[in-house]
Amino acid sequence: MTLTESPSLLVAGIGEMVLSSGSDSHLVAYGLGSCIALAVWDPRTRVGGLAHFMLPSGPANDGSPVKFIDSGLDVFLKATEAKGAMLSRSVFKAAGAAAMLTVGGGLAIGKRNAEAMAAALAERGYSLTATALGGNAGRTVQLEVSDGRFLIKSLSSVSEL
Amino acid sequence: MTLTISEAGQNVVAGTFRKAMKRAGEALGSMSGQVIEVETPMLRRCSASDVLAMAGGPESIVLAVYVGINGSLQGHALLLFSPADAHRLAAILLTGLLGPGELPMEESPDVLSYDELELSALQEAGNVTISAFLNELGTHLHEPVMPTPPQVIIEMAGAVLDAVLLDLVNDADQVLAAKTTFTEGGRAIDGTLFVLPRADSLRVLLEALGAIGI
Repeated sequence: MTLTESPSLLVAGIGEMVLSSGSDSHLVAYGLGSCIALAVWDPRTRVGGLAHFMLPSGPANDGSPVKFIDSGLDVFLKATEAKGAMLSRSVFKAAGAAAMLTVGGGLAIGKRNAEAMAAALAERGYSLTATALGGNAGRTVQLEVSDGRFLIKSLSSVSEL
Repeated sequence: MTLTISEAGQNVVAGTFRKAMKRAGEALGSMSGQVIEVETPMLRRCSASDVLAMAGGPESIVLAVYVGINGSLQGHALLLFSPADAHRLAAILLTGLLGPGELPMEESPDVLSYDELELSALQEAGNVTISAFLNELGTHLHEPVMPTPPQVIIEMAGAVLDAVLLDLVNDADQVLAAKTTFTEGGRAIDGTLFVLPRADSLRVLLEALGAIGI
């Protein structure tokens, strides 16, 4: 179900981020459930970043720089700037934060992730221009660095933000 | 949480998990009326992305039966099948119940579509398998283990597992993952069972098994 096969396919695994200024780059996060992916793209410099966050907050940790939104968002935004994006003119899009489990209380982490992301961005003066959040379907997302398109694929549909 | 377990302690845990996985396989076997082989379980302390890799990668499509674990041991259990194997298992289970000739055995044209009867059979198969595992583990604990009702999810493995992993990695960077594969000889149905205890109840389990301090 890979959206695009390409040597310039960069994958953000769980708790990871990928960045690129290459016009042929595709930044991908596979199989998001309750996790939330944030895509940042500067239309002028055509620099893009994609981060695969796991949780709203938690203890600062190990090797996963963007595991938590509270400590990881600035790490991700700074890295995107360092790659050449100007955040004030960049577009921010997010997807994921679904509720996959209905039993055992449902572990309402998806909803908390969506709220934490919106709040953390607002604190820094940014807002999401497009989202595909919530619901109960898993998503694979892909940011096209050439034009900023954000593709969302679930088992039943493909859409574009 | 840092928990140091000696090699002897690890062997005790592995032995118990092996026995419980075997019980789970037997339960699935008696439900399906087939001989189910249980692969020697893999028991690992690993990262979230390792668990996703063990499930075939985040984008592989699975039919998962999820059972939450509450009570004296808390965590999550999942029985995963490939979509095609899930159809085959459902056919075996339903043929056993309804008699031969009641169900077509050929592959469904839409492999991700299951009828209500199939879903119900698979949900029960997951329930029986996971409960057998928990019952075995429960014999070592002082308080009962309480599984939630089962939930069937047809999804990308990453999406099914991440909700569970998020619950676990909040407390610990590493999770204890126990995994085995069930194979039904003639028709080669592979099912993968994951049991993922929460960090705080891992200590309870290890203490109950006598795996700490040996």
